[in-house]
Amino acid sequence: MVESKEPPVKHQIVVEALSHTYRPARGREVLALEEVSLAIAPREFVALLGPSGCGKSTLLYLIGGFLPVERGAIRIEGAPVAGPGPDRGIVFQHFALFPWRTVRANVRYGLEKLALAREEQERRAQAFIELVGLTGFEESYPSQLSGGMKQRAALARTLAVDPKMLLMDEPFGALDAQTRSLMQAELYAIWQRTPKTVLFVTHDVQEAVRLAQRVVVMSARPGKIKATVDIALDRADPHIYRSPAFAEKVDEIWNLVRDEAIKAQ
Amino acid sequence: MARLILRVAPWLSVLAVALAWELFARSGAVTPFMLPKLTTVLARIWADAGSGDLAHNLGLTLYRALAGFAVAALAGIGLGFAVAYNRAARWLFDPLISVGFPMPKIAFLPIITLWLGFHDVSKISMVVFDAIFPVVTATLAATLAVERELLWSARNLGASERELLHEVVFPAALPQIMTGLQVALPIALIVCIVAEMKLGGVGLGGAMITASRFADSPGVFAGIVEIAIAGYVLVRLMARVRARLLAWHPETAAPASV
Ligand SMILES: Nc1ncnc2c1ncn2[C@@H]1O[C@H](COP(=O)(O)OP(=O)(O)OP(=O)(O)O)[C@@H](O)[C@H]1O
Ligand SMILES: [Mg+2]
Repeated sequence: MVESKEPPVKHQIVVEALSHTYRPARGREVLALEEVSLAIAPREFVALLGPSGCGKSTLLYLIGGFLPVERGAIRIEGAPVAGPGPDRGIVFQHFALFPWRTVRANVRYGLEKLALAREEQERRAQAFIELVGLTGFEESYPSQLSGGMKQRAALARTLAVDPKMLLMDEPFGALDAQTRSLMQAELYAIWQRTPKTVLFVTHDVQEAVRLAQRVVVMSARPGKIKATVDIALDRADPHIYRSPAFAEKVDEIWNLVRDEAIKAQ
Repeated sequence: MARLILRVAPWLSVLAVALAWELFARSGAVTPFMLPKLTTVLARIWADAGSGDLAHNLGLTLYRALAGFAVAALAGIGLGFAVAYNRAARWLFDPLISVGFPMPKIAFLPIITLWLGFHDVSKISMVVFDAIFPVVTATLAATLAVERELLWSARNLGASERELLHEVVFPAALPQIMTGLQVALPIALIVCIVAEMKLGGVGLGGAMITASRFADSPGVFAGIVEIAIAGYVLVRLMARVRARLLAWHPETAAPASV
């Protein structure tokens, strides 16, 4: 259960003794992360769980290069992070869609930056809009969509640029159970089809066990890594989700998360 | 029928004032010199429209007000961005804006006429000087309030710092900038007319002062009605522009009032 100390070269994302303090202009300082270390291999699918306010989003922002690294280090493929890059696609917890762009234009934004031919942009945007089930809403503005639809639009926008690494902050949090299950299957298929490293924040233990190869549980604020659980399930087996092995993993992680959630109260 | 009532309802108060004016002027409680009948005033406007005087005066006033407004809008938006993004510009302009906004800019009119004379340049400068403040402050506030996650997601998708400005900051700030412009437009018209009244010559304000000198009471009141109508039309047009530019904004889907 302890962080393994492997040489960092074989890892794509390496976080070392990372601490982060928020210093708002007014109000008190908050130590959001304390000495977090985490190494993620290429093509690995890691789920990140932890009580609300433990610093999951903060960790993603730091890896994404949006916040400056003050203490500790983050290396992406061996190099320290220097700002955001399209190699690390992020899906924000609150979507961050451009409200002045339609769904289609939102999904196209990253493709415009790739300087693809216009037809190729349109084709890819359309494919990902279909993938997330927003066909028919291409010309809608975000303000005209439900929360779950916005979330799917944001998902399509990030997936469309096909980033090597995906940083996903509760990307299915606003979805109903059915859509959620569909989206999980799509994400899983994409991950299998294309070489992607995924760091996936969720509050849903079942979701974490269903998707991830490794589940990292964080402790209540200040966020530390509390435990890492490897999930070695045979995912080719369609009945795996009803197997005792699956239930056992869910239970194990539930207990870890629950302790922290109680502490966070 | 119900729809017709809804359409005219907002005008009932205006109609009531017009009716009260007409009845009061006819009642004999005041002399026609103090308050001419509304119908007399309307007839006067009609006559001025026929002779071309109205078009001449109104045209000049609108030209000055709108030219000043356009300069204030462009310079104000530019200055707002500069102050938001440039430390030197902020040091230089932030105190000036704070001190200048609440000042009665019209008090500078004598100085401006000393420097620039009595012609259009000074009137337009006066308009710019007054109308620029709400634009700068709205642009500055809006620019500083752009959600950081919007900037982050644009950067994440590959936007350069230059692209961020016109692809994210400007559209995100536009609703508030438009509000600033909507405040600045009536100010432009007001200041233009006050400057015309002070400096005289052709224009709605100048024409009213001339009418007043000649004790031409219907002429003075005609000016007031013309200004009211011109102001109303300008404000409505601006609201249309806003709805056009902000089609994506939730407010456009459910407009608040007339
Ligand atoms: N901009 C900010 N300024 C000050 N403090 C902040 C800021 N953002 C987050 N924090 C603090 O940092 C801590 C971690 O926040 P973060 O958003 O990373 O939590 P989280 O694990 O993503 O929570 P949730 O599951 O609710 O999304 C919180 O306790 C919060 O108080
Ligand atoms: Mg969060």
